[in-house]
Amino acid sequence: MGDRGLSVFFLAVGFGLVTASILTLAAVGLTLQFGITNYVNFAYGEFLTLGAYLAWVLNWKLHLNLWLAMVGAALLVGLVGVAINYLLLRPFVRKGIALRYILIVTFGLSLILSNVILAIWGANYQSFDVGSQLPFHAGPFLFTPNQVLITLVALCAMLGVHLLLSRTRLGKAMRAMSDNHDLAMVSGIDNNRITAFTWLLSGTLAGLAGVVLALDVTSFQPLFGNDFLFVIFAAMILGGVGSPYGAMLGSLVIGLATEISAVVVNSAFKDDIAFAVLIAVLLLRPQGIMRIAGRG
Amino acid sequence: MEQIFFYAATLVVFWFIFNIQTWGLNIQFGYAGILDFTYITFFAAGAYFAGATAMDKASGDLHYVLGLNANFAVAMVVGATAAGVLGALVGLVALNRLRSDYLAIVTVSVGAIAYDLVGNQRNIFNGFDGLLGIPYPFNDILQLDPQTYTLFYIAFAGAVMLVLWLVAHRIYNSPFGRALRAIREDLDVAEAFGKNTYAMRMIAMVVGCVYAGIAGALLIGFISAFNPGGWSPAETFLIWAAMLVGGRANNVGAIVGALLVPVIFLEGTRYLPAIQGHAELVPALRNVVVGLLLIAVLWFRPEGLLPEPRKRFYQLPLSRDPEMVANVPVS
Repeated sequence: MGDRGLSVFFLAVGFGLVTASILTLAAVGLTLQFGITNYVNFAYGEFLTLGAYLAWVLNWKLHLNLWLAMVGAALLVGLVGVAINYLLLRPFVRKGIALRYILIVTFGLSLILSNVILAIWGANYQSFDVGSQLPFHAGPFLFTPNQVLITLVALCAMLGVHLLLSRTRLGKAMRAMSDNHDLAMVSGIDNNRITAFTWLLSGTLAGLAGVVLALDVTSFQPLFGNDFLFVIFAAMILGGVGSPYGAMLGSLVIGLATEISAVVVNSAFKDDIAFAVLIAVLLLRPQGIMRIAGRG
Repeated sequence: MEQIFFYAATLVVFWFIFNIQTWGLNIQFGYAGILDFTYITFFAAGAYFAGATAMDKASGDLHYVLGLNANFAVAMVVGATAAGVLGALVGLVALNRLRSDYLAIVTVSVGAIAYDLVGNQRNIFNGFDGLLGIPYPFNDILQLDPQTYTLFYIAFAGAVMLVLWLVAHRIYNSPFGRALRAIREDLDVAEAFGKNTYAMRMIAMVVGCVYAGIAGALLIGFISAFNPGGWSPAETFLIWAAMLVGGRANNVGAIVGALLVPVIFLEGTRYLPAIQGHAELVPALRNVVVGLLLIAVLWFRPEGLLPEPRKRFYQLPLSRDPEMVANVPVS
């Protein structure tokens, strides 16, 4: 690899870190919810899409600063998550319906949400009002100002998640429920409250991820979150389902792997790399790289 | 008059094709409890491979693999095999000791990857433009006029459907079908009774995919064109809705579901006028209704319109009709 090869490699690492930042927001949100409710949410891609569109409305129609719009949209998606759990998923869980039917419900929900978004905002590509983005050099890397902010948003959010899980009673209760649901219940943890909060957190992270993903790829349409869903799945499963720290590590691996591989193979295939990682993990180590003791 | 004939004929062939698809999904989910969230991808594999096998060598603006100019019977076998092999590959990754979530995740991911690859790589099946100009099956020998040919195709699709009905029915009532239902209800118990649950679920997965492949081949033979617009993820929901509305694990229910959801509901709303400036509004709302239907059925009538019949097994002589036992005089 010559000098030029090396600089291309560093560029790819830089892009990989940005992709990993977006992915980690999404994957941590998904894995927390999966760990606590014990079913995966197939409408999660639409949560990202909804975040992007809500931020776009706040940004363009209400002329809010983009970063304020991002926070507002993320919280709104969090509330949508709480509402969906309260009105749709919790009643089904209470009915004692088998796991596979709950999955069909979230699968149906993804069709409903993506088409509601399509009906409201149309199929055209949209983008945010961010002005021109001149890339600048930082050591061997090359970033646009937005990409740096995306990375900062992800770092802050992950620090927040870490502090929540390790320092607060709420976070400890979440970890307890994720580890052993029944044991947490007999210890007096309020199942409904923790589940509701988890949906809020999961939705908020999804909303943030949707906005930063839209910023990174510069334009979005009603299916763009769903197209990203299997990359999130790959990061989550690589890290081990239910493990937020695993999801962070999984996102880093997938982010770097997809962008660095784009140097070697055609960049049109970079999502296929994430898929290949997903298949390899399922075949070789289905419990993920960060296996939690006692869970398989 | 002629237009009405062709429209009615198209509806009948579509209904037959939807029946086959719904039975295939029924074998996977209704019989064995396998969550296949990208059923339409296997349908597409069947359609593409059958089409490309029946077509002549790629030329001009069209780019695709195969191009064998084969008889349609051969093309159908190739299509069904392609769908089955793809199903086996998915099963290989996800059926082995993993929870049902993982299988669903793998199917969703396979669907996304396949759609992206086939759409964006022109040299596989001509990208987003898709295949077109597939020769009418068997008409090189039959040389029929369009109207008679359409009648012939209804009979042909009907005959294929009948065979697949018998196979699905036979599987359900066989010891293998019983074992599949046991696995569906409780995998661990079936395993404890010595059933090879992995192999059995794999067979159900592959058979379901072969059904999808045959349905795909029948479609591309009939409309002689196929592109990614015909297998968008929304199409998978349609088959799921048909199966769940009609009644899972009930193949007569599947026929009713296929008639109600894809044929009557979708065709009935196909000619709603588009709203000026919002071309995608009506199709979007139709998809919302399909999604709501899926959820509403699971809430209000999870067993579907025609529930799975309760199996009656032979009773031991001791547990005879209680009334009869009660009427035996005590001496």
